[in-house]
Amino acid sequence: MGQLIAVELIYRGVFQKTLAKNITRGIVLAAHNEGKLGISFGRYGDSPERNGIPAKSFAIVANDEETLQAGMAQYEPKQVDVTVVLDDTLSKGAESWAWYGLQPVHHALKPGHTLIVISLEDAPTLLQSIHRRDEPYKLGVLKGVTSFSGMWVYKDDHTDVRVLGAIAKALPELVGLKAVEQFITDKLKNSLKVRSAQTAFERFESIEVKPGQGNPDELPQFELLKWEDMREGVSIKGQPQGGPYADPVTKQVGGFRPARNGLFKKYSTRTQRPVVNFATCTKCTLCWLNCPDASFDVTPDKTYDANLEACCGCGICEDVCPVKNCITMVNESRFHDNNSQWEAFKKDHDAYLKWLEKTIESGQPEPNRAYGFRYRGQYKEQVPEAIAIAEKG
Amino acid sequence: MSTTFVEEKPTQNLEAFKGVKKVPYEEYYTSGHRTCQGCESAQIMKLMAKAAGPRTIVLGSTGCMYVANTSYYATPWGVPWMHTQLGSAGSGALGVAAALRAQMRKGTMRAEPINVIAFCGDGGGADMGLNAISATLTHPDYNLLILLYDNETYANTDIQVSGTSPYGVNTSFSTPGKVKRIMHHRWKKNVAPLMAAGHPTCKYVGTISTSYPLQAMNNIRKALSIGGPTFIHCLNPCPKGWDFDPLLSFQLGELAVNTGIWPLYEIENGKLKLYGKTEQIAHGRFKRLPVREYLLKQGRFAHFVEEDIEFFQSKVDEMWEKWLVPGVIPLQKELDARNPPSP
Repeated sequence: MGQLIAVELIYRGVFQKTLAKNITRGIVLAAHNEGKLGISFGRYGDSPERNGIPAKSFAIVANDEETLQAGMAQYEPKQVDVTVVLDDTLSKGAESWAWYGLQPVHHALKPGHTLIVISLEDAPTLLQSIHRRDEPYKLGVLKGVTSFSGMWVYKDDHTDVRVLGAIAKALPELVGLKAVEQFITDKLKNSLKVRSAQTAFERFESIEVKPGQGNPDELPQFELLKWEDMREGVSIKGQPQGGPYADPVTKQVGGFRPARNGLFKKYSTRTQRPVVNFATCTKCTLCWLNCPDASFDVTPDKTYDANLEACCGCGICEDVCPVKNCITMVNESRFHDNNSQWEAFKKDHDAYLKWLEKTIESGQPEPNRAYGFRYRGQYKEQVPEAIAIAEKG
Repeated sequence: MSTTFVEEKPTQNLEAFKGVKKVPYEEYYTSGHRTCQGCESAQIMKLMAKAAGPRTIVLGSTGCMYVANTSYYATPWGVPWMHTQLGSAGSGALGVAAALRAQMRKGTMRAEPINVIAFCGDGGGADMGLNAISATLTHPDYNLLILLYDNETYANTDIQVSGTSPYGVNTSFSTPGKVKRIMHHRWKKNVAPLMAAGHPTCKYVGTISTSYPLQAMNNIRKALSIGGPTFIHCLNPCPKGWDFDPLLSFQLGELAVNTGIWPLYEIENGKLKLYGKTEQIAHGRFKRLPVREYLLKQGRFAHFVEEDIEFFQSKVDEMWEKWLVPGVIPLQKELDARNPPSP
């Protein structure tokens, strides 16, 4: 048996579905140009995908058929030679649709191998989010904006070929740049895309990450029910009712915090999160009433606090809020905890409002980042900017 | 006075919530479901459970709201919930209502009014489950509500065409091609009037939208209180299948109403009442917005050329100008004027 090389892509469900498919397909077809055999596939447990919920896609490549068959017989590769993270907010880990709990992004990466993240941030910043691990690995940032599109309309901003270029640099034994160029010329028939792949190859660099380096947070632990925990009638317990809770400063009890399903949290589903100005909130109820995830806690003050265990970052609250700048969606990568904003506000109004202003500012303007289709022609407008940012490196 | 032989049982008699500030805090469908960002189908589940309250049994036929809410022994439901097969929302609801009655009669459970709600998606309700729902709506003895949450495709299995998919839409079964642009040329099924016209003893049929949450909850409460089997059809924008930025979910629900595509009405004891913006449109107090504003915000219509938008607009205009009851009953006015069906 020969050597099996596996590539793992971690991406945002639906938003990057076509992108992930194009990349894994490209890896296999490019490797084919070097006489190798391969196959690309999505993770069965992630299907059907849901908007924003992390998903995985794989490409496996071998020199001979027997090795490839052995690889295909596995549900998914247990260890991979390179992991690509297509959205930097996933650095905090991926809790996929299927039951795996929250996994760090380097969960399956072989020691010493490369983790590629598409981001505008640098590696040390990303390491504030990427969890620690015991084995060393390499971290490379492919500079670029996150490419989101949707189910039907694809944003062709060269991210696919740029990832191929970076992989050729990080793992030449999988596929060389020549084979990637040939694939683009033959199949995609776009000389600009050849250029983009070359630039990504030339610019891509990685740093060594030492054992223990990175985000020290413990991963949330989940206790999944087993079949013998089921009750009469093959039933499980429903959610209990929530109740009022205490103000951290005045100790006054009030408001309402619903009980929540503890087995599926939305930490890694978010690409952005709402930040709330409790000082301007008019208590109109609209964010709370219109949140599909019941993520707002009603505080003892009767304002509304987005509970970050439950918020998936859709942005409906910002849209329905009638007060200007009371709720603002900010890129998730700006945050390193999931603490209650209202508690911070209660403890120190001025400090919170200062933090709020700074946080909103740090998220603006977000170059070219849209969370899906808003109007026709939008992607066409965004592509040149995305390519310019990528070229600048 | 003749006996009807109908064994009516009391309902919980749920009063309307008088304003958003009077809506209770309690959630019976809470966080921690595996739906998409900005999922309005999850939103109607939340509103439905809140409106119905704690003494409620919910049945769900197969679809997004089954799969995404019950995976891996985990649930967001705070009221008893049970899965029922894809086409069985109607028979499931009827069976549960009948079982409750039998148990209360035998004294194996306390006699009290319990809400029975069965929800189904457009695939489970407007396509496969239509016959079971129809049969159920003819049973006057049982108090139950069937709620059809409509995201206009089989969204759970990755967006295949359903009977309520709008004209021309891009789905996994109707991908536009170079030679043939419009691969889905059927008009959306008009489900609620079908239920009202076909089941004269059904006391309540209506449409709702998640973008008008208070009204939606109050209509659900009315349907649960009026007695007998009732039916509500809710339109739920689906960011995944309709292909739009999730933050537009709420706006698109409003736009569907304001463009006249999704009329809001209730038929209570045979009396039709348009409500909200739909009523304003019908009385000329609000000018329908062009459907273009709705269509161009969605990737599923990105292949539409001017001609297709005009056709879509003309069909919606027809609903409002030529239908006997604008937006509701698709019998032509001219026919009625020439040859009145009854004196």
